[in-house]
Amino acid sequence: MKKVNYFLAALLGLSIQFASAQVKKGSVLIKNATVLTVTEGTLENSDVLVQDGIIKKVGQNLNAPNGVTTIDATGKYLMPGIIDAHSHLGLDVVNEATSPIVAEVRMKDMVNPFEVGIYRALAGGVTISHAMHGSANVIGGQNATLKHRWGSTDPADIIMQEAPRTIKFALGENPTRVHGRGNGIQPRTRMGVEAILRNGFNEAIQYKKEWAEYNAAASQKGNTALSPVHNERLEILSDILDGKIIIHCHSYRADEIYMLINVARDFGITKLVFQHTNEGFKVAPEIAEYTMGASVFADWWAYKFEVYYSTAYNAAILTENGAITSINSDDAELIRHLYHEAAKTQRYGGMTDEQALSMITINPAKQLGIADKVGSIEEGKQADLVIFEGHPLSSYAVPQMTFVDGVKYFDIKEDADDQRMKISATEMVEPVMIYEGHDSRCMQDTESLFETTESLFLLNQ
Amino acid sequence: MKKPLLYAGVFCFMVSGLLSSTLALAQSDPSGKKPITDTYAITNATVFTSPGQAGVKTTVLIKNGLIQGVGNNLALPKEAKTIAGDSLFIYPGFIAGASDVGITRPKDPERPDDFVSSNPSDEIAGITPWRSAVDQFSIKDSKVDDLRKVGFTIVQISPEGGMIAGKTAIVLLGSENSTNILKENTALAANFRGSRGMYPGTAVGVMAKFREVYDNTMLTSERSQKYSTVAGLKRPEITPTYSAMQEVTTGQIPVMFTTSSDLEIRRAISLQKEKGFKLVLTGLEEYEGVLDVIKASGAAVLVKLEIPDDKAIKAQKDDATAEVKELNARVKKAYDDAIAQAGKLEEAGIPFAFSIVGVKSGDIMKALQKMIASGLSEKAALAALTTNPASILGLTKVAGSIEKGKMANLILSTDSLFTEDAQIKHIVVDGIIYDYETKAKKKAAKDGNGAMKIEGTWEYTSESPAGSSGGILVIKKDGSDYSGTITYDDPSGAGKATSDIKNVNLNGSSLSFSFDVTASGMDITVDVSGEVSEGSYDATMTVGEFGSFPFKGTLTPTLIANK
Repeated sequence: MKKVNYFLAALLGLSIQFASAQVKKGSVLIKNATVLTVTEGTLENSDVLVQDGIIKKVGQNLNAPNGVTTIDATGKYLMPGIIDAHSHLGLDVVNEATSPIVAEVRMKDMVNPFEVGIYRALAGGVTISHAMHGSANVIGGQNATLKHRWGSTDPADIIMQEAPRTIKFALGENPTRVHGRGNGIQPRTRMGVEAILRNGFNEAIQYKKEWAEYNAAASQKGNTALSPVHNERLEILSDILDGKIIIHCHSYRADEIYMLINVARDFGITKLVFQHTNEGFKVAPEIAEYTMGASVFADWWAYKFEVYYSTAYNAAILTENGAITSINSDDAELIRHLYHEAAKTQRYGGMTDEQALSMITINPAKQLGIADKVGSIEEGKQADLVIFEGHPLSSYAVPQMTFVDGVKYFDIKEDADDQRMKISATEMVEPVMIYEGHDSRCMQDTESLFETTESLFLLNQ
Repeated sequence: MKKPLLYAGVFCFMVSGLLSSTLALAQSDPSGKKPITDTYAITNATVFTSPGQAGVKTTVLIKNGLIQGVGNNLALPKEAKTIAGDSLFIYPGFIAGASDVGITRPKDPERPDDFVSSNPSDEIAGITPWRSAVDQFSIKDSKVDDLRKVGFTIVQISPEGGMIAGKTAIVLLGSENSTNILKENTALAANFRGSRGMYPGTAVGVMAKFREVYDNTMLTSERSQKYSTVAGLKRPEITPTYSAMQEVTTGQIPVMFTTSSDLEIRRAISLQKEKGFKLVLTGLEEYEGVLDVIKASGAAVLVKLEIPDDKAIKAQKDDATAEVKELNARVKKAYDDAIAQAGKLEEAGIPFAFSIVGVKSGDIMKALQKMIASGLSEKAALAALTTNPASILGLTKVAGSIEKGKMANLILSTDSLFTEDAQIKHIVVDGIIYDYETKAKKKAAKDGNGAMKIEGTWEYTSESPAGSSGGILVIKKDGSDYSGTITYDDPSGAGKATSDIKNVNLNGSSLSFSFDVTASGMDITVDVSGEVSEGSYDATMTVGEFGSFPFKGTLTPTLIANK
């Protein structure tokens, strides 16, 4: 009888593995760590058992089932995988900058699992990044949430397929520079940005109505209804209005943040997260009340005019006012030490360990709509874990191992000098860019749009 | 070299071509171009009728553009001109799955005054499915003969343009007096290139736009269908884009997506899965990682007939540090893997043909030889050039092998194909025989290290429609590399101009180099490539887009004795 059960279990296990295709799921027992669960306190000298990619048990004196590797983490810290709510890693194209609204474009089409930055992020304990469209458009493309399963060659395998849809919005200088100043079309000012948003949503309402009317008529016998023109752009906007997509909006100034809150309220949109949000501290209560919070830099500003009024206390003020707050990188270098960035909120604002760690784990998970699956060490959640030597908020912290779905993708002891997956056959030395400067990725692929402006400028010289 | 002269020359050339073609139709033939007979017997040649077949000593009879028979006991008609084939090897003529030979990019349409870059018209945005490659093709382009010389007799020409460039067509590389069209509207050429400075500007925009065009084509067909059967309907809006896209959405013709890398291949296949169109993947350069994906998709495959350039490999130095050596080894492996891919495709059981879009004719045989040396079987290589493209292009009944009733498209070579010494002596296209000069390989002048000696001062002459010109080519040796200068008639006035030569590449007796010429403010790169033997250089000079011309050089003897 027992044997039959075992056989059945094996069979079922096998079929489950087949069903979930190529995505690898691992089993591991991590013993005697200081477990920073983030949501359920700190557990000294505790074990975490992972089976088939899921956290099965958190406790003490756990035993490894047959065939499950045990890792002794005595004296080390175990925390949930770090989540970066704003990144452009692993994308072949970042900006389709050519129109003020490009809601129809999908970053999932452009995912590049070969980008070595993904491995570097793993080496910094980051297991999930939000691969966003750039900020050249008022309404940019649909983003992809990536799980850093380094070594996969199929883009589909590093996309977190169960994550909800998100979309990029952008306010202020970037869209007005690209479209207004660069191309002489709306929006030239922040007023224009608001007009683009309101017109877009109103058109989407009409579009949806047109299709609803057509569909109703088409089912009648002998009807003379002809289908409207398909417009993917308006269809996506209409999905936003229906609450099917979370907005992640690039923003800096308090006035524009408040503007979008009002637009969202007018159109009944509640799924809204602000990105960058340098002046978020001025409208923190409003952000807390009406949105899913803000994802901010720890201390990065003054790279352009709209980013001068900033403070390193921003994250703490937002948190104390009840806004869900996360710290992001927006950068392939910064992503490697987001735990340092989170620690800065302790120096500037006196955040507790739990508050600071939340900003790079459970809070970004909430903003991406995946907090029920990742972002903390809880039984039943996906086993995205990082083992640290030293407390992750210490300046001396060094990530040792990083797991995604219980599979180890980074181990400092097995870290080879050259981790690239793909090598060019025709280049002796491939260009390596670690620091590209802020805005370089956010505004990637927009160069050609400035040609007109530049030539006009040169004409006047 | 003078650009205005060159234009004038090309123009005169075309006019004379036009005149002769008209005259050829007249009963009397003062041009002397009309062949005496269209019946040929190539006797006692070694004939390879199709890939995998051993060569058989036999006779091939051609009549009226068709293969009349293959065998030893054929009754040869009296009018048959006999070609003694005793020393010749005959193969079916090559077919290219995709080519840009003879294609001239159409002029960009003018932007209207009220042009809005976020919403350009289809034509300006590169969405021109109604265009046909036939309208962009000229059989008189000098590149046609360059390609024929390598063995190609039929090509599918792909139009130039934006993301949806237009329809391909299948043409023969035959007579200048014929349209040479075998089939029109054979596939829709598409790629992931965005339009510069307008929507869609990038691959991500192109994918979104492709979906939109596709979906609206379907809706338009639906509306038109209903409009033709139900009364009292508003007139559906028909656009050239939707009309021309219908052949794709109804599955009559495939979409031929240019996809060079594995990620692009996956993108095209994901669109195919979403929309359900027939797919041809073309221009594949990097595909080893997606063989199973390609196989599962059922898409036809056209591999780019090119190997990666070996500059990075050649630049590797033996005295590098251990770290650099490790990195070098990875580059070398990537290079070797890239060349071995075609063999892997064969192993995976995926029948493929070749795309020669953007490929120099002169490099084709070398690329094939390298692929064969790295694991591709000769049978599969020949199949990729004959039977596979015939099947992909729907030409199996008329081309791809040497059989009675098929088109007389043949390669007559001096040795078995793909061997280094093989030279093509005649090409038969549509029954017309084209003769090419073959040379006995001479013993080459060698320097002390056994390499061909090319350094020194060469005098050269070049022939172009603008006339004959020449100059001095100086080649110097620095270490293992070569550099030097070349003089030529100054395009912007009288006298001679001088340019540095670059990319000097000596491989066995093959020497190639290039140099830049500035003419009327335009930079043109001139590529020269050919064979060196005993102080003479017999080469072809390719002048940007203007065509290829003969280039002959003689090494001036030095006063310093050879050691």
